[in-house]
Amino acid sequence: MKKKIIQAIQENESLSAYKIEVSVSSDRIVTLIGEVDDWQQVVDCGHLSAKVKGVRNVVNDLTAKGIVIPKRDRSEEIQQAIANGKETACDIVVIGAGVIGCAIARELAKYQVKTIVVEKNSDVAEEATKANNGNIHPGVLAKPGTLKAELNLKGNEMYTQLSKELNFELQRPGSLNVIYKKSEWRKMKAIQVMKKTGLGHLVPPMRQVMKVPGLKWLTGEEVKQMEPHLKGDPIGGFWMTTMGLVEPYEVCIAMAENAVENGTEFRLNAEVLDVLVENGRTAGVVTNQGVIRSEIVINAAGVYTDTIAEMANDRFFTIHPRRGAIAIIDKSRKGFLKTPAGIRGGKEAKKNNTKGGGASVTPEGNLLWGPTAVEIPWKEDKSVEASDLDYITKLGMSVTNEIQRSEIITFFAGIRAADYMEDFIIERSRKVGGLIHVAGIQSPGLASAPAIAEMVAGLVNEERGGLLENPNFNPIREPKPQFRHLSHEAQDNLIQKNAKYGNIICRCELITEGEILDAIHSTIPATTIDAVKRRTRSGMGRCQGGFCGPRVLEILARELEKEPTEVTLKGNESYILKADSRQPIVAGRRKP
Amino acid sequence: MKKEFTCIVCPMSCALTVEEKNGEIIVLGNGCKRGKEFGINEFTDPKRMVTTTVKVMGSHLKRLPVISTDELPLDHLFVYMHELYQVVLEAPVEKGQIIIENIGNSGVDIVASRSLKQIELKKENA
Amino acid sequence: MKELNVDVAVIGGGPAGLAAAIEAKEQGVDHVVILERDVELGGILQQCIHDGFGLHRFGKRLSGCGYAHHFIESVAEKAIDVKLKTIVLEITDEKIIYAMNEVDGMMKITCGAIVLAMGCRERTRSQVFIWGTRPSGVLTAGTVQRYINMEGYLPGEKAVILGSGDIGLIMARRMTLEGIEVEGVYEVMKTPGGLTRNISQCLKDFQIPMHLATTVVRIHGNKKMEGVTVAQVDEKRQPIQGTERFIPCDLLVLAVGLIPENELSRQLEVEMDPRTKGPIVDEHFMTSIPGVFAAGNVVTVFDLVDYVSLTGEIAGRGAAKFLQGKLNLDLPAKDVLPGDAVNFVVPQRIRTVNAEDSIPIYFRVKEEMRKVEVTATVDGEVCMRKKHPIALPPEMMVETIQLEKIHEDARELRVSVKVG
Repeated sequence: MKKKIIQAIQENESLSAYKIEVSVSSDRIVTLIGEVDDWQQVVDCGHLSAKVKGVRNVVNDLTAKGIVIPKRDRSEEIQQAIANGKETACDIVVIGAGVIGCAIARELAKYQVKTIVVEKNSDVAEEATKANNGNIHPGVLAKPGTLKAELNLKGNEMYTQLSKELNFELQRPGSLNVIYKKSEWRKMKAIQVMKKTGLGHLVPPMRQVMKVPGLKWLTGEEVKQMEPHLKGDPIGGFWMTTMGLVEPYEVCIAMAENAVENGTEFRLNAEVLDVLVENGRTAGVVTNQGVIRSEIVINAAGVYTDTIAEMANDRFFTIHPRRGAIAIIDKSRKGFLKTPAGIRGGKEAKKNNTKGGGASVTPEGNLLWGPTAVEIPWKEDKSVEASDLDYITKLGMSVTNEIQRSEIITFFAGIRAADYMEDFIIERSRKVGGLIHVAGIQSPGLASAPAIAEMVAGLVNEERGGLLENPNFNPIREPKPQFRHLSHEAQDNLIQKNAKYGNIICRCELITEGEILDAIHSTIPATTIDAVKRRTRSGMGRCQGGFCGPRVLEILARELEKEPTEVTLKGNESYILKADSRQPIVAGRRKP
Repeated sequence: MKKEFTCIVCPMSCALTVEEKNGEIIVLGNGCKRGKEFGINEFTDPKRMVTTTVKVMGSHLKRLPVISTDELPLDHLFVYMHELYQVVLEAPVEKGQIIIENIGNSGVDIVASRSLKQIELKKENA
Repeated sequence: MKELNVDVAVIGGGPAGLAAAIEAKEQGVDHVVILERDVELGGILQQCIHDGFGLHRFGKRLSGCGYAHHFIESVAEKAIDVKLKTIVLEITDEKIIYAMNEVDGMMKITCGAIVLAMGCRERTRSQVFIWGTRPSGVLTAGTVQRYINMEGYLPGEKAVILGSGDIGLIMARRMTLEGIEVEGVYEVMKTPGGLTRNISQCLKDFQIPMHLATTVVRIHGNKKMEGVTVAQVDEKRQPIQGTERFIPCDLLVLAVGLIPENELSRQLEVEMDPRTKGPIVDEHFMTSIPGVFAAGNVVTVFDLVDYVSLTGEIAGRGAAKFLQGKLNLDLPAKDVLPGDAVNFVVPQRIRTVNAEDSIPIYFRVKEEMRKVEVTATVDGEVCMRKKHPIALPPEMMVETIQLEKIHEDARELRVSVKVG
C-alpha cells in the first residue's frame, strides 16, 4: 500500500520533486509528512493517497512553505478548568451545535438519556450550517456505495415529516439541470433508458441514479415553460423533483429548540479543551465552563472533528477546510426562477469535489449564487475574495444573464469540513470506548442530517445497549408567528392580540418587534444581533441591518438587561458599541 | 508670514494667499469681497460654528444637540468641547434654551438646537 | 381592520414629506395625514446636528434638527394628522394604502392623492464589493451618526472612513470631536466627493488626511474587526499591487453613497428613471400614476435640504391641485432631457398647461467644469443661457425656466452645460 501511495504521488508532475514521507499503520491509516510549496499540493497529496485502494483514511501533516497554521497550547486552560472544580454529569455529550450536532441532540431526546450539547460559539448554527445554500439534495450525485449516497437519499425523504413536526419551511421545487449541448442530451437520454429498463443496475456508476425517485426528463420547450428566464434555447432538462429547499439555520434552530423542549441541555460559549479518556474509555470533556462527565462523547465538531479526535488520542483523519462562498440577490427578483438551475456538463464542478451549482433559490424567495469550493489552510478563514465573486457570478450567469452583479445584497463564506476520503465518517472510535465520530460532514450533510442522527442513535444503542424510548417525547415544535407571511386581516388580528407585532423593526424584511421578542425568549435564546437575524430575518434585507441594527441592539440590551456596549454581533469580542460617549474609556484622545 | 487657504465661502473654492505687510493684511486669489473677509479672518483668528451634543436624561434620546449662537475661535474648540461634555441635563428642553452662557468668556452662547420632551421611563414587558 | 379616508396621505415625515403636507394644507386640502415610521417627525435631519442647513430658506446656519423644528412646529399649528411608528406595507393603484402601527393595527387608508417621500438609504459594504471577512465594526456613516448623536455611544476607538462625500467628511469631524481617532478618509475616485468647504472645515481643521484614488480592499477579523487593508487604484478603479497597506482599526465607516428608497414606488409600478433611480416626475412632481406624487430624495438624491423642501412644496401643491381638479392630464407631456455633460434632469416631463410661471429644473453635471454656460433649448432653439464660474458633480444645479419661453407645440426641453 505504501509503495502504491508513493508511486501515485511520484507520478504527479507537480509533486514528484518533493520529499514526502509516507507511513501506513496496521489499521490502514496513512500519514504524510514533509514540506511542499503551496497549499493545493498539500491537498493533492492527501487526495492521491486516499484514492489508493484499501486506505482507510489519511492523516496529512504536510506543510506548505510560508503557511503557518498556529496550534494553541491549551494545557494551562485545561488545568484551570479542572481546578475550578465545576463538574456536571450526564449520559452523552455532543460536541458542536451545527445542524449535525442539533439533529443528533433532537434524535437522542427520543430516548431516556441525559444529553448536553456544547458549542464554542454564542449560538447554534454559527459555522457551516449558516453559510450554505440550503439545498436538500436529491442524492443523484453521490458516489454509489458511499455513506453519503445512502444517507442523502434517506435524509432527503425524512425532511418532509421533519418539517411538519418542527414547523420549518421546506419547499420541493426540484432541481433542474439545463442542457444546451446535444452530446450531453444524448448522455442524459441514455440514462433515462437505463433507468426505465432497469439496465442501470448492471452499471456500477449508475447504481445511485437507479435509487433516486422522481427523476424527470423535459424537452427544451418544457424547460423554457417552467423557467422562462433561462438564457438561450435549452434542448432539454433533467428535473430532479425531490430536491428540497430550506433555510439551513432555521432547520438547525428548530431541531435544537425541540431538543431543549424535550430535556436536552445546550451550553453555548462552551469550548471543548480536552476529551477525558480513562482506561480506554471516554469519561467526558473539559470545557472552558467546567468538566462534563459522560459515558459517551459524540464528536460533531465540524472542521474541528480531527482536533477533537486528537484530544482523545484517536487521530486517524485530517479535515482540510474547503471554503464555499455564496452571494444573495435582492428579493425584488422573487419568482425569477422557480427551481434551482444549473448547466449540465460544466467542468468546474468536478475539479473541486463540489456539487457545483448555478443559481439556487431560498425558501424566502431570494436568488442565491454559488457556492464556490476553494481549498484553504485555515479553518477560520471565512473571507470572500474577488476571485470567489467572479466565479459565483459566472455560475449565476451561466443560466441567466438578466441579473446584474449590482443586485447582490450580500456575500459570505462557510467552511466545509472535508476529509481526504471525501465521505462521511460516522463510526464508533476503534481506540476509545464511548467515543463516536461524526466527521467529514460536507455536502450533502444538510440533506443527510436527519439520517445521520438516526444512524448515530443506532451507534449509541450499540455502545450502551438498550436505549429506552422517552415516553414524554414531543416531536412538535410549535410555529411562531411570521408577520410577513400573513394576510392584512391576519396581521391586524395579531397586532390586536399583541401590540408588539405592530412595531416593524426591520423594514426591508418586514420583521416586527414581537417576532424579535419571540426569538430572544425562545428555548435557545437569541442573544446576539446575528442570532436574532437567523431566527427572524431582521437585517437580512437589502439595507443589511443599517436601519434595524441599532433597534435590535436596543431591544437585546433591554430584554437581556445588559448595557448596549455588552451586546455583540456574533459573540466574543464582537461589540458594536465601544463605550458610552460621556464615559470615555478611549484614553488620550479627548484633549482638555 | 504668508499663509494659504481654500476659501470656503462658496463652491468656487478659491485658493487664497494671505500675507501681512507693514501691519496690513493682504489677500490674494479671492474672487469676491466675501473671500477677502474670509481670508483675513482665517489669517488672524479662524472661527467656526460649534455643534455637538450634551448628555440628557429623561427623554427618548440620550443626547441633546447643541449649537453656538455665533462662530467661535477654532483653536479653543476642544476647550469648549471639554466643557460641554461635563453637562448633564434633565428633559424637557426647549429649542433655543441656553445650555452654556458665554462659553469660555467668548461672548457666544451654546443653545439647544431642538426641543426634547420628557418621557416616562417605564420598563416595557415582553 | 380600521378604514380611513383622507385627502392627501404623505408617506414619510422627513423634510420632503413635512413640506408637502404643510403646502397641501395651505392650498386648502382638508384632511392631510403624514405616515412616519420613526417615533418622531424630521427624518434623518434629527441626527444631523451639524450646521449648514437652511442657508437658502432661512438665511441662517441651522443644524439639521433646527431646520426640521421649523417645519414640525408648522405641522402642529396647522393640525395636520400625524401617525408615528407607522409603516406603509402596500399602496394599490387605486390609491389605497395599507399601513400599520401598534395602536391602530392595520389600516386601510383610501386617499385622494398620495405623496411619496420615503427619502433614501445608504449603500452597504456588499454594494461596493469590499473583500474579506464579516466582523462587527463595519457600519454605514448614517448608523454611526445615529449611535453618536442620538444614542450617545461610540462605535469604536479608531476609525477608517471610506468615501469622501459630505456625510463621510461630516462624520470625520464628528468622530474626532467625540474622541474617536480617525486614521483617514479614503476615496476611490481621483476627486473628492464632498464640498470643498467641508474638506476644509471637517478634515483640514483636524489634520485628518484624505487619500484619493485609494480604497479599502479588505476587511480583517472574524468576530471583531482587526483592521482593513487599503490600496491605491488605477484608472479603472482596480487595486494596484504593491500599494496595499494594513491599518489596524476597530471601525470602518462607509460613506459610499445614497440610493432613493423606492420599494413602494416599484411595487406600485410607477415609471422609473434609471439615471436618478427614482420615479419619473412632471412639473408638479407627479409620477406616471395620476394623483401619486413624489418629493425629495425619493426622486433623486439632492445634496441640499432646501431643494428637498422645495420639491416637497411643489408636490404638495400638485396634490392639492389634483384634488381640486385643476390639473389637465389629457394633453401629452413634453420631455425634459439631459443634454451635453448633464447626467440627469428632474423633472423629466412637463405639461405647460398645468405649469406655474416658472419651472425649476434640477440637474447634475457629469464631471468638474470651470467657467461654464448652462443652456436650455426648446426643440433645439435656445431659450435660456446662464454662466457659472464652476460646475461640480457633487453639487446639484438648478435653473429656472420661464414658462413663456416654452411654446405650446414644443416637444422637448433640453438642458446642456459647456465650457465657455
